[in-house]
Amino acid sequence: MTVKVEKIEGGTPHDTIMWAGLLSALVCIYLGAGLNSMFNAYTFSFFGGLAAVAAIIWGSDTIKGLCSYGIGTGVPSVGMISLGSGVIAMLIATRFSWYLAPIVLVVVAVIIGAIIGYMANDVIMMKIPVMRRSMTEVAVIGGLMLMGFAQMTTGSYALLDLAATKMSILGLPIAAGFGGSFIGASIIAVAFILGAIAVQHPFNACLGPSWKQDRMLMLAAECGFLSMLPVAFMSVAYLSLPAVIVSVVVSAAGWLYTYNEYICLAKRDAAAWLDAKPIREPEGH
Amino acid sequence: MTVTPKPTGGVGMNPMANALSIILLIAIIGAAWILFGGYGLIFKALVAVILGGVLIGFGVHFVPVGGAPAAMGQAPGIATGVAMLAAGAGLAGLFGGAYAAQSNLGLVTSVVAGGIGGALMMAVTCLFVVLIYTYAMGIPSASGKVKVDPITGDTQAEYKSQGTEGHGLPFSSFAGGVIGGFLGGVGGTLIYYALLQVYEDKLPALLSAPTAQAIVPVAVSLAGVFAVGIFLVNAVLAAYNITGTTEGFHDPKFSRFPRAIIAALAASAACGLVAILVAAI
Amino acid sequence: MVENIVIGIGVTAFAGALASVAGAAEDVESDIGSQGDPNSQVQLAPQMGYIHRIFNKAISGEPPAYGLWVALGAGLAAAFLQVNVNPILALTLGCVLATLVQGVYATTAYLGRIASLAKFGQPVYIDILKSMTTVTMAHAFIAIFTSVLMCYLMNAALGHPFPLALLGLIWGIALGAAGSATGNPFYGKERQYQNQKFGAGVPVAASGNIVRYAEAGERNSLDNGWFTAKLGGPWSGICFGLIVFLELWRTVLFEPFWAGWGAIVVGLILILVFTFIDRYAEVWARETFGPYAKEAAK
Repeated sequence: MTVKVEKIEGGTPHDTIMWAGLLSALVCIYLGAGLNSMFNAYTFSFFGGLAAVAAIIWGSDTIKGLCSYGIGTGVPSVGMISLGSGVIAMLIATRFSWYLAPIVLVVVAVIIGAIIGYMANDVIMMKIPVMRRSMTEVAVIGGLMLMGFAQMTTGSYALLDLAATKMSILGLPIAAGFGGSFIGASIIAVAFILGAIAVQHPFNACLGPSWKQDRMLMLAAECGFLSMLPVAFMSVAYLSLPAVIVSVVVSAAGWLYTYNEYICLAKRDAAAWLDAKPIREPEGH
Repeated sequence: MTVTPKPTGGVGMNPMANALSIILLIAIIGAAWILFGGYGLIFKALVAVILGGVLIGFGVHFVPVGGAPAAMGQAPGIATGVAMLAAGAGLAGLFGGAYAAQSNLGLVTSVVAGGIGGALMMAVTCLFVVLIYTYAMGIPSASGKVKVDPITGDTQAEYKSQGTEGHGLPFSSFAGGVIGGFLGGVGGTLIYYALLQVYEDKLPALLSAPTAQAIVPVAVSLAGVFAVGIFLVNAVLAAYNITGTTEGFHDPKFSRFPRAIIAALAASAACGLVAILVAAI
Repeated sequence: MVENIVIGIGVTAFAGALASVAGAAEDVESDIGSQGDPNSQVQLAPQMGYIHRIFNKAISGEPPAYGLWVALGAGLAAAFLQVNVNPILALTLGCVLATLVQGVYATTAYLGRIASLAKFGQPVYIDILKSMTTVTMAHAFIAIFTSVLMCYLMNAALGHPFPLALLGLIWGIALGAAGSATGNPFYGKERQYQNQKFGAGVPVAASGNIVRYAEAGERNSLDNGWFTAKLGGPWSGICFGLIVFLELWRTVLFEPFWAGWGAIVVGLILILVFTFIDRYAEVWARETFGPYAKEAAK
């Protein structure tokens, strides 16, 4: 016997969330890159993390729409396919200059996502109305998340910067070279799985008959900020200490706020909020 | 409106979609041939990536997964998600294959080493599932989909407890798991090896590295991450094809595999071409 | 590769031991938090009218979740190692941070799922949240730390080409897969449905009727962890330990022979050995237990 998932109408329409998510993610990425180059510092790298948060919020609503139809395998697989297609689009976008790369990312991710969506819907014959569109969206989301995390960790999303570190601590160059870079040390793999779990968790955790959209979106924001925290700590290997501190403070503040709001929303929605009370059997049992 | 999430996919093939996928595959391979000088490293790597993706997609159909009912002894198979179980085996195989590739043992040896690594992981896992069912829970293995086990000839119906669809891992499911692990390991290592060759060839010039040795960590990591990504895309597509649960190659759902192969062909071609373009343009 | 074969064997044995501990801790942690496929019953129970006090940790399956925790621990450790932090400190700090992330994910999963079951009257039990979360985090730390240490040894001592973070991702997914495959049926059938007949699967009609009142009063997830730590946990540990140990052992010892085919042949022999053991167990079960009585057939 399977869990019933009810498709609830109402709440913010998905198109609004999609455009809001896409545009805010792109704006954040450009802001981060632009402010960094304007001030010749890396303190604004946290905007990459904010772009990832926007993408995760968008992604949770996409996954909600897709999984309400019943895909048979469960929610985490969508997160995996999102990042699997997104990492490919993101890495080819790193070959372009900083103002072209996000656009290239979106274009390539749309193409790859459309192909995968067509495969899933028409060749595998899942015949779900939103399958093609959802696969396209999650590919873009995966790519944006990765680009955001890359920017937050290293301050840039160009292949040369991601594959080689030219860093110094306290004026002494450290022999990181190629092996210790974002790609060389496989921090990209950590960003990959961080994003994969973060994008599917909000819907997976709020799944149930009393699902509410605002609670899920708040959880999505919380997952985003929670993912920003370890990324901020990992950036200690690539950015200067002030930049790291700024990232940690922004992530921690965002996470504390969204986590608190999420608990309040859960309290609002729960049947009862009991502390050390026995099982309350429903009537007739 | 209430929608109960049951898989609604159709059984059977969509000839138009299949034809379009094959055309897409030919277009991508043709583009690689034209753009990168015929039968060279890039073309061979792309073909290897496509072949690896197809093996992964095919291998997932062999892995016996029972899903949530298996965790209660209501259905045969392993009680984990099919895409991630296949990924666990395939990636354990990739670990072994990468070790062999580093020792410069050549394509065939590395790929077979990866396959054996994946098969070994599935063998140990399936063995322990059977041991848990037999010695810890006192439940014999029984299949719900066939009357007689195709490999051993054991009858299944009387060993199925009442109200269930079977439980444990009949021998055919065990064998299927090992075969699935082998194919997953081979596919993953093949993708990794092919992309590694391309990156080791192209990256030194691209990153202005002092020596070709210096960028090996980047090449290894990039090839590894792409192998994981393409593996997951193919495994999830195959998981959609079998709608989450299967008993292995004796399950009627196994006959759906042509759809997954065609999907894997096109998806791996697209992903593989972009992965190669990262270093080649 | 490994220059000194003795160091190679020693590290292999150590890695195998670490993997065994990791597997055992992983399984007990996922049973205390009720993660993975058995969790579908914890989700279903209120819908069938069975209110419970079990922790509903619906993060995802165990393989992707453990892929994340171990990769996170390994990635953070790698970043700290790059700024020349002492290796032991770097590994420990990385794993502590990964465990904290795991704890937060656990709490949000519980709150979200239970709040979405409000329609059936399932309350959120705050004391369950407060008492289970720290226990599951403790077990997770053991699993994550031993896995990351194992990956560090593979990279640093055995010379595997993959960087630490990628090894963490790979072995995290493998750990979750092996641990959940072995431990889930034991938790799901033996403990959640302890009131059903021993020696048979759970009939479909009994779905959702998990045990809620048990030996120590109202059952909670700590009771489940206590039970599965007796058998499901250690066997999952041996399973994953064997996987890691045999994979490393056959490579370190036999790869120099026949240009790599020595390791392949040894692997094949091991697979055959396990196949025989599996067949023996299967036949033993059929002969010792005998067929089920044909009651319903009449």
